[in-house]
Amino acid sequence: MSALIRIRDLGREYRMGDERILALRGVTLDIHRNEYLAIMGPSGSGKSTMMNLLGCLDTPTAGEYWLNGEEVSRLTDDALARVRNREIGFVFQTFNLLPRATSLHNVELPLVYAGVRGRERRERAAAALDQVGLGHRMDHRPSELSGGQRQRVAIARALVNQPSILLADEPTGNLDSVTSDEIMRVFTQLHAGGQTVIMVTHEPDIAARTERVVVLRDGQVESDRVNRGAAA
Amino acid sequence: MILRGIGEGVTIALDAIRSNKLRSALTILGVVIGVTTVMAVASLVQGIRRQIFNAIEVAGPTTFYVIRYFSQTPVNPDRLPYEVRIRPVLRRSDAEAIGRLPEIRYAGIWVQVFQKAEYQGVRTQQVIIFGADDRYMDIQGGTLLRGRLFSRAELSGEPVVVLESAVADRLFGRLDPLGAQVRIGGISFRVIGVFQKPSNIFEPPGQATGGVVPFAAARESFRYDETNALFVAVKPRTGVAVGTAMDGVTVALRRSRNLRPGDANTFDLITQDQILDVIGKFTSYFFLAMVALSSVALLVGGIGVMAIMMVSVTDRTKEIGLRKALGATRRDVLWQFLVEAATLTLVGGALGILLGLGAGALLKAALSLDSAVPLWSIVLACGVSVAIGLVFGLLPANRAARMDPVEALRHE
Ligand SMILES: Nc1ncnc2c1ncn2[C@@H]1O[C@H](COP(=O)(O)OP(=O)(O)O)[C@@H](O)[C@H]1O
Ligand SMILES: [Mg+2]
Repeated sequence: MSALIRIRDLGREYRMGDERILALRGVTLDIHRNEYLAIMGPSGSGKSTMMNLLGCLDTPTAGEYWLNGEEVSRLTDDALARVRNREIGFVFQTFNLLPRATSLHNVELPLVYAGVRGRERRERAAAALDQVGLGHRMDHRPSELSGGQRQRVAIARALVNQPSILLADEPTGNLDSVTSDEIMRVFTQLHAGGQTVIMVTHEPDIAARTERVVVLRDGQVESDRVNRGAAA
Repeated sequence: MILRGIGEGVTIALDAIRSNKLRSALTILGVVIGVTTVMAVASLVQGIRRQIFNAIEVAGPTTFYVIRYFSQTPVNPDRLPYEVRIRPVLRRSDAEAIGRLPEIRYAGIWVQVFQKAEYQGVRTQQVIIFGADDRYMDIQGGTLLRGRLFSRAELSGEPVVVLESAVADRLFGRLDPLGAQVRIGGISFRVIGVFQKPSNIFEPPGQATGGVVPFAAARESFRYDETNALFVAVKPRTGVAVGTAMDGVTVALRRSRNLRPGDANTFDLITQDQILDVIGKFTSYFFLAMVALSSVALLVGGIGVMAIMMVSVTDRTKEIGLRKALGATRRDVLWQFLVEAATLTLVGGALGILLGLGAGALLKAALSLDSAVPLWSIVLACGVSVAIGLVFGLLPANRAARMDPVEALRHE
């Protein structure tokens, strides 16, 4: 089976005045459908840069990125926006919910940009909230929810368009250990249901629950191994 | 695509208005002021124009006037320019000469003066008192409510007056005015009748008709200015074109004043059209001035919208990043902020319409005009409000649309 994500010699260079910073220098990686993968590495190693590229929020300055058989590294801004809408579900460390919108409306947002209207939109958003166990909190605003519940709303929002990849950047970074555990169970469940999950984390016990760990250092892949503990 | 943008945009805009009332109020203040002015002026001008047309219809579009000198602004009677001084003052014989022409049904010399009327301590504002004759209402319109008009004998200078009904009400209340002695400009007149003006006649503030006295009585009783106040009212016979009648009058007056071919006329003729023209010009200058003023208000309002939308875009950088991450294209974001700006200004416009209609109604009541506000002006005001939002929202919306999603998401 061909890889869902095919990355070849991927590079990302930042320029600040005369200075050039190579945040990624030649990363090559294949990620298959229904993998459960953690990206680790010390601060400044290029994890966020990698996530931004994988999530089509950013374009590389070198190399190729094939997503679902499509070369996405050279697409225009608007084409990338459509790829994000269709293929990617983002989960952020700080949840990033619209504070004045209800859970339901927050989850509806990706459908708004997909052009799904009216009842179908509400029904699909409600189903996604059910899936993360928040069907009874649809009319609550983020301020009326706990941290764990907020992150579940964010996960429901990431799922609602049935994306190829769920991309999570330190999804438990703002949560206590009990809540983190709860959220990790949601990810594990989604993975068990067939979802491809990629998350950035610097916590080894979070990474330990995934099936594959890629470690970055100085913008390069330092190690890439199957996680025996989780696979067993 | 566009519709979905509008739906989202309106929701977001109403939300933004609710969550930040003060900022929204400031944003739309300029638009409210601008639209209020335009609406008030539009309804006022509409009212005035309608009254004028009604007045012309009543007086009959064929009536015209002979005057010593006609200019759009009345000349100063104490410092008459040379070309006016060489013109003879109008006399009764001029009117009689005109009246003898076969084309003419009626010609009479009239005078109008501004005076206050008084009865037993009750006074009116300054009103126009016409010195005319018993054909006054044929020419100016109106109906006799009580009493009678002047008799032949009274026309030679008896101090009698036919009062306008509002003036009679003011002075007499429920008392019977007929036979009473009122003082007009300090001179005693006996009331012989009460008449009602045509209901929808146009009278600028301070220029309400108060009553009619015989021309000879007015000439004896009041000081008046022979250039601006004295005129001959002329009505052609039915079937005679105004142009033909005016030619006849011109020839007759030139002959009686012994003017040679090549000499300039020593009098002017004014038609209703010209009066209409003057008033029309006046109202449209007034209207233009107000439009210019309110354009400035709208411009200031638009710049306010732009400034505050800029702040709002910066404030919501992270939200913009999020929306882009979830799949919003540049166009989606552009639309969202344009619709938001237009919604804000439309709300401002709607407030302005309400306030403007209120102000217009008050003004009209004060000037006792009656007219409905034209629907087009409401539609126009809404359109202009939306357009201001779209135009001045363009810069902030474009800034939002061009944000880099990674940078925007990192923004705190
Ligand atoms: N927008 C940027 N401009 C300049 N340098 C950047 C930018 N983003 C990241 N970098 C640099 O790229 C390197 C990798 O950063 P990042 O991907 O954020 O690492 P991590 O997420 O692993 O901490 C760092 O040296 C960082 O300073
Ligand atoms: Mg990082």
